Amino acid sequence: MDAIELLSDYADYLREKKDQGKKIIGFMGHDNIPEELLDAAGFIPLRMIFAGNDDLMHASNDYLPPSTCSFAQSCIGLFSLKPSQYHFLNLIDHFLVSNHCVSDICTSEIITKYFKIPRLNFYISYTQDPEALKYFKLELLDLKQQLEKLIGREIKKQDIIESIRKYNLFKKKLSDINDLDISGVDKLKIFQKAILYGPVILPELEDFIQANNPNHAQNSKDSVDIFFTGCSIFIGDYLINLIEESGGDIKYFDTWVGDAYFSQVFEEEEITSNDDPLDFFVQRFENNKNGDHTVPYYFENKVTQIKEIIKEHQEKKGKKLRVINHIIKFCDHINIFQSFLKKELQEEGIQVLNLERDYSRANRGQLSTRVEAFMEMM
Amino acid sequence: MSVFTDDVINFTSVLKMAYNFLSGREYLKKQKFRERKKLISVVLPFSDLSFAAGAVPVFPIRMESFNINQYLVALNSATSILGWGLTTKLLGFIKQFDALKIFDTILDEVLKSINVKYNEMYDLGVENGISSDFCYGIKGLYGMHVSKGKNVDANMNFAIRCSAFNKYYESLRKLVPRQIWVDIPSRNIGNALELLTENITNAISDLEDITGNHVADNSLNKQFRIGNQVKRYYKTIIYEISAEDFYPCNPATFAEILSLLGISFQDYNSNAQRYLENIANLVKEMRERIRKGIGMDVSKMPRILLTPVFGGWEPETQEFLYEQGARTLYADWEILGLLEEIPVSKGTNPVEEYARYLLNAATEGIGCDNNTLTDSYQRIAKKMNVDGIIFNQLFGCHSISNCYPMLREKVRKKLDIPITSIIFNKIGENVEQIKTRLGAYMEIVKPT
Repeated sequence: MDAIELLSDYADYLREKKDQGKKIIGFMGHDNIPEELLDAAGFIPLRMIFAGNDDLMHASNDYLPPSTCSFAQSCIGLFSLKPSQYHFLNLIDHFLVSNHCVSDICTSEIITKYFKIPRLNFYISYTQDPEALKYFKLELLDLKQQLEKLIGREIKKQDIIESIRKYNLFKKKLSDINDLDISGVDKLKIFQKAILYGPVILPELEDFIQANNPNHAQNSKDSVDIFFTGCSIFIGDYLINLIEESGGDIKYFDTWVGDAYFSQVFEEEEITSNDDPLDFFVQRFENNKNGDHTVPYYFENKVTQIKEIIKEHQEKKGKKLRVINHIIKFCDHINIFQSFLKKELQEEGIQVLNLERDYSRANRGQLSTRVEAFMEMM
Repeated sequence: MSVFTDDVINFTSVLKMAYNFLSGREYLKKQKFRERKKLISVVLPFSDLSFAAGAVPVFPIRMESFNINQYLVALNSATSILGWGLTTKLLGFIKQFDALKIFDTILDEVLKSINVKYNEMYDLGVENGISSDFCYGIKGLYGMHVSKGKNVDANMNFAIRCSAFNKYYESLRKLVPRQIWVDIPSRNIGNALELLTENITNAISDLEDITGNHVADNSLNKQFRIGNQVKRYYKTIIYEISAEDFYPCNPATFAEILSLLGISFQDYNSNAQRYLENIANLVKEMRERIRKGIGMDVSKMPRILLTPVFGGWEPETQEFLYEQGARTLYADWEILGLLEEIPVSKGTNPVEEYARYLLNAATEGIGCDNNTLTDSYQRIAKKMNVDGIIFNQLFGCHSISNCYPMLREKVRKKLDIPITSIIFNKIGENVEQIKTRLGAYMEIVKPT
C-alpha cells in the first residue's frame, strides 16, 4: 500500500467515524502525548506524521520564517494548502498545542489560530526530576478537565485503564513486528499505518505477524544493517526507499514512528498498580529516558542505548549495525547533538552518517549520493 | 569612529560599567584565586541565587581577554580614589586638552572589542560542533564555554520555552560537568508555584554544596533588594529618561548605554553592589545633564523600539537609525518580564517570591506561546509610547523570532505604528541589507 492509498483509506475511515459522531483531536506526534486519555474520552487521536514537500514548506512562510524545522513548516502547509489527499484534516475538531520542542508550540498555535481549530493545551517539563513529574501530573489533570468540558461528562477511571490496556497491547504487537525478520521498508509501512490508525487495526497487525513468521524471512544477506535514529520517517517520505535502493536495511527505527513509540509498554501489574491511572502516564514519562525532549541526560542515555543495541545485534546476528542519524533541517533537538553523536560513536568504531535534509525535491539527488557513498564504505 | 563617542566622556558611570565589563577576566581571577569564590556561569538575567550563595555569577564572555583602553584603567583608579563627582569633573577638564581625540574612541573601542569577541566566540562554537543553523546566541555562548568553561565551577540553567536553549544547556555538560537546573513550569496551573519553589530550593542546595555557604533568607532578601533597586533605575531610564524631549547625550549614545545595560544586566558585572552604584550614578548623571541642558534636543526624533536583541543583533543598526533621524530604544528584559521586582517585605518567603517572579516572567512575559509573547511586546511598546518597532529576526531562532508575523498583525491592528523586521545572523554580515530595509522603513515613520 503506498502513501496515497493509505491516506485515502484513512480519510474514508475518519469520515465514517465522524458520521458515527466521533470527534477528532489532532496533534504534532510525539512520545509524551497521553493518547489513551483522548481515546478514553471518546476522541480519535490524529498524529501529524506526514512528510512534507516544497509546496507545503513554502506555504508556511506566511506564518514562520524559512529557518524553521521543515516538518513544522510542512504541517502548516498541510493546513494552508489542504492538498486533496489531506482533506481529512478538515475533519479535525480540536488541536492539541504541546511543547515537544518550541516549533511544536509555534506550529500548533498557528494551526489553531489561523485555521480556526479550537485549541487544547498540554505542556511538558524538560527535566524529569520529582517536581517535573508532579508538574506532568498537573498537566494531565488539566488536560483531563479540558476533555471533560468538551464531552460534558467525567472520564471514568475504568475507561482510562481500558484504553491504556488497549494501547499497551497494540504497542506490544508493533514491538513483535519490529522483531520480525522482514525488510525495513515493510516494517515502516506497517508502523506508519498503525500509528496513524491506532489500536483499531490490531487484527490486521496480528494477521501481518502470522503472515510474516520467522520461516518467511525475506531479508537479504547482502544488505547493510542500519540503526536509524534522529527524526522520524513520516508517511509519504521517499527516504526509506532511497536507503533500501542503496543497499541498506533498517533494523531499528529509533524514532517516534518506531521504537520510541512502541517501547512504551507495560506489564498488566504495572498498569493496575496505580490507584490513579494518570500516574501510569507519569510513570511512562519518567521512564522515557531516551526521548529527545528531555534534559540533561538525553544525549548520554542515547549514546549508551545505541552502543548496547549495536553490541547486542552483533552478538545475535553476527552483523554490524551502522547508524544513520536523520536530521530534519532546523530540528533543534537532533541537530544540536549531531556532531557529538558522530564523534562518540565513531570513537567506538561505529560508522555514522549524519543525514541532514529538508523536504525539497532538489535534495533527493544529494541525499542519494550520500547514502550510496555511506553504503559503499561498508 | 561611531557617532556617540564625543559626549560620553562625562558619563563616568557608563565608562566604569564598560571597564567592569572588559576587565572581567582580572576581576574574576582575583575572586577565584585570591578570594576563593566559586564562579557560576549565567546567561540571561538569572544571577540572583548565585550572588545570594556568595558565589560569583559570570556571563561567560567576560572571562575573555579584551584590549582595554588605558584611560579606562585610569578612570577606574580615579573613581576609587577621588569618588564619582570629582572624577567626572576631572574628565571634563582633561577633555579640553584631548588634542589627540583619544577619548573620542574609548567607548567605540569598548563596543568594537565586545563585538569582535562575540564573533570570535560564534566561530569557536561552530568549529566545535554547533551547527551553523542555530542562532547567534547559542553558537556564541557555546564558544564562550569552549574557550573558558573550564574556569567555572558550575552552570546555572533555567529551563525555558526555547527547546534549542534547553538543549544547548545540556550540550554544555561536556564542557562544564556541574549543572544546576531550575525547570520553570510552562503554565501557572495547580500548585505549579509550589513545584517551582521546590526546584529553586534544590538549586540553592546545589549552590550551597558548591560554595560551602549557607543561603539564609536574609542573604536572598539582601540580593533581591539590590536587584530591585537596579531594576527601578533601569526602568527609570527606559520609561522616564527615554521619553524626555531632551536627552543627556545624543540618541546614539543613549542607545549604546541601553545596549551596555542589556548585556551587563545578566551578571551585574559579577558584583551586584558595585553595579547598583554604577546604575544609580548613571541615572543621577543623566538627570544632572538634562537639568543643566547638556545633551541634545530629540523632540523631533521618532522613538523606535528595536527588539529582541539579547540573542545578538547588528550594532550598526542604531547608528544608521540615528543618521536617519530616529532614536533607538532597547527594552528586552522589561518585555520579557524580568524587570519586575521581587517582594522582600517582612514575613515573605524569599524562595517563594523568587519562584513567583520567575513564573510570572515565564507565563506573562516570555509566555508559553507566541500569543502571550506578542502581547508582551505590544504592551511594552504601548507603555513606552514608541513611534515604531523594528523586530530583529534572529536567523535560527525558533522561539522568539517566530512570533513576528503574529506581532506584525497585532501591532497593525491595535497600535497603529509602523513595524518592520530585519534579519540578523552575525555581526557585520548583513549590514547593507539592513540599511536598505531600514531606509525604506524610515520613510514611513512620521517625525513626531
